[in-house]
Amino acid sequence: MRRLLLIIACIVFVVVYIVALGKITEEAKNIPKGEDTAYVMPASILRITALEFDGLASDFLFLKSLIFLGSTIERKEEPRVKPWEWEWLYHVLDASTDLDPYFFDPYYLGNANLTWGGGLIKEANALLEKGNRYRSWDFLLPFYIGFNNFYFLDDNNKAIEFLMEAARRPGAGSVYAALAAKLAYTERRTENAITFQEYILDHTEDSRLRTEYETRLNTLRGLLDLEKAVAEYKRRFGRYPGKIEDLIIKHVIDKLPPEPYGGNYYIDSHGQVKTTSESKIMPYRHLSLFPSSPSLLLPSQSLF
Amino acid sequence: MTTLWPIALITFKEGVRNRALYGITLLALLLLVANFLISGMIMQEVGKVAVDIALSAVSLSGLLLVLFVGINLMAKDLDRKTIYMVLSRPISRSQYIVGKFLGMVLLIIITMFFLSMFAMLSIQLIKMTHPDYFPRFSWPMILLALSFSTLSLILLSALTFLFASLTSTSFITLVLTVIAYIIGQSLSDVKALVETPQTVGIQVSSVTVKVVQIAYYLFPNLSIFDIKMQAAHALPLSLSYIFWTVLYGLVYTSLALTGAAVIFRRREFP
Repeated sequence: MRRLLLIIACIVFVVVYIVALGKITEEAKNIPKGEDTAYVMPASILRITALEFDGLASDFLFLKSLIFLGSTIERKEEPRVKPWEWEWLYHVLDASTDLDPYFFDPYYLGNANLTWGGGLIKEANALLEKGNRYRSWDFLLPFYIGFNNFYFLDDNNKAIEFLMEAARRPGAGSVYAALAAKLAYTERRTENAITFQEYILDHTEDSRLRTEYETRLNTLRGLLDLEKAVAEYKRRFGRYPGKIEDLIIKHVIDKLPPEPYGGNYYIDSHGQVKTTSESKIMPYRHLSLFPSSPSLLLPSQSLF
Repeated sequence: MTTLWPIALITFKEGVRNRALYGITLLALLLLVANFLISGMIMQEVGKVAVDIALSAVSLSGLLLVLFVGINLMAKDLDRKTIYMVLSRPISRSQYIVGKFLGMVLLIIITMFFLSMFAMLSIQLIKMTHPDYFPRFSWPMILLALSFSTLSLILLSALTFLFASLTSTSFITLVLTVIAYIIGQSLSDVKALVETPQTVGIQVSSVTVKVVQIAYYLFPNLSIFDIKMQAAHALPLSLSYIFWTVLYGLVYTSLALTGAAVIFRRREFP
C-alpha cells in the first residue's frame, strides 16, 4: 500500500513538473525583452563586479555580442537588426574593450558590423581609436580607421593620417603608404575603394564576411568599369549619356557588367554611375549615438 | 624550525585528505576542458582567451581552496576542541599558528603547482590546434601570473588566520575572508571611481572618499597580484613592479600572521 502511494506521488510530481516547466517556458517569452532591458553597465562598475576576472568578463561580453549577431542571421524581418540593437551591440563591445582594451576581437567584430550593418561609423571609429591607443603594435586598427574615414566619412586627410600611422607600425607592408599616396587623388574614389576592399578581403578569414566583401568588391568593380565607360562616352560625344543603355547603343561597351546584389546600374542627373543597391555598398548613415561635441566621446574609458 | 615542521606536515596531510580538495580539482579540470570549447568560438585572438580562461580557472580554484579547505584547517581545532590537546604539548601558541600557516602555504603551493600544470597543458594543446592564433604569447608571463596568484592566495590565507584567531566559529571566518577578498580585489577600482565620480555621473561625499582611502591602506590590495591581462597579451611588466609586489605580499602576510599570533596568544579558551 505504501509503495503504491509512493509510486502515485512520484508520477504526480513528474507530471506537474513537466507541465510547470512547459508553462514557465511559455511565460518567460512574455517577459519584456528588447529595448527596455538593453542596458549595459558602464565599464567602471563592471570592473568592480568582475573582481580579478576582468579578462574573462571581457571575453564573455564579446561572446555575447557574437552570439547575438549569429542569432540575427536567421531573421526574416527588415531591417534584420533594429537600430537599438546596433546601439546595444556598440555598448557591449565598448564595455568589453574597456575591461580589456588590448583584446582585438571586439574591435574587429565592431568594425565589420557597426559600419556596414548599423551605419554607426563614428562609434566604430571611436572603438577602433581606443584599440589603436592600446595596441600600439597593431597596424590593422589604424588601417580600418583610415578606411572608414575615406569610405564613409569622405575625410581623405584623416584617412591619409591613419594610413601613414599604419605604415609606421612594425610588420606593416608598403601597401599602406601606397594607399595613402593614392588617396591624394580624390577623383579616383571608386578605384581607391576597390584597392581598400581588396586589401580588406585579403585579411579576412571568416567565410560569411568574405562572401559579403567579395560581392561588394564585384559591385565596385562594375561601377568602376561603367565610370570609365562614361568618361570615354563624354570624351567621344562631349556630353554625359542620358541613360546607362546609351553606352551599349553607341558601342562604348558591349554589355553591362552584372550587378551582384541583383539591382541595376544607372546614371543619375549629374552623370554619376550609381546602383539601385546603393545601400549595400554605402549603408544609410542613420543617427549617431554621440553628441556632436567630440570632447564628450566615451566618458567611461578615461577612468582608470 | 624543528617544532614547526611536524605541525606544518600534519596540517598539510590533513588538507590533502579533505574531500573538498577533490571537488575543487575536478572543477578546475572541467573549466580547463571548457577552455577548448570557448576558445574555439573566438575568431582572432584565440591565445588571449585560452590564457584568460586557464589562469582564471586556476585562480578561482585556488580561492576555493583557501576558503573551504584552508579555513577548516585552522578552525577545526577550535571547533572540535582538539586545540586543548595540541596546546598541552611543549610548543608555544605562536609556534602553533606559524606551523599551521606553513602547512597551509605548503598545501597552496603544491595544489597551485598541479593546477598550473593542467592549465599550461590546456593552453599548449589549444596552441597546437590553433598555432596561427597566438600572435602575442609568452610562457614567462604566464608563469609569473600563476606565481603572483599563488602569492595572493598565501596573503589571503594569512588573513584567514587573523580572522580565525579573532572569531569563535569557522563560518564567521569564512564570511570575513570573502568580504576581505572582494574588498581587496575591487578596492583600487572603487578608489579610482570615488576619486573621479563625474566620469559615470554619480555624486560621492567627501566622507566616502576618506573612508575608501583609509580602507585602501587597511585592506590588502589583491588586484596588484592580478596580472592575467598582461600575461594574456604578453605585455611587458617592469622588474620594479614585480619586486614591490612581492615585497608588499610578503610584508602584508607577515603583518597578518603576527597579528594572528598576538591575538591567539592572549585568547582565552572556555
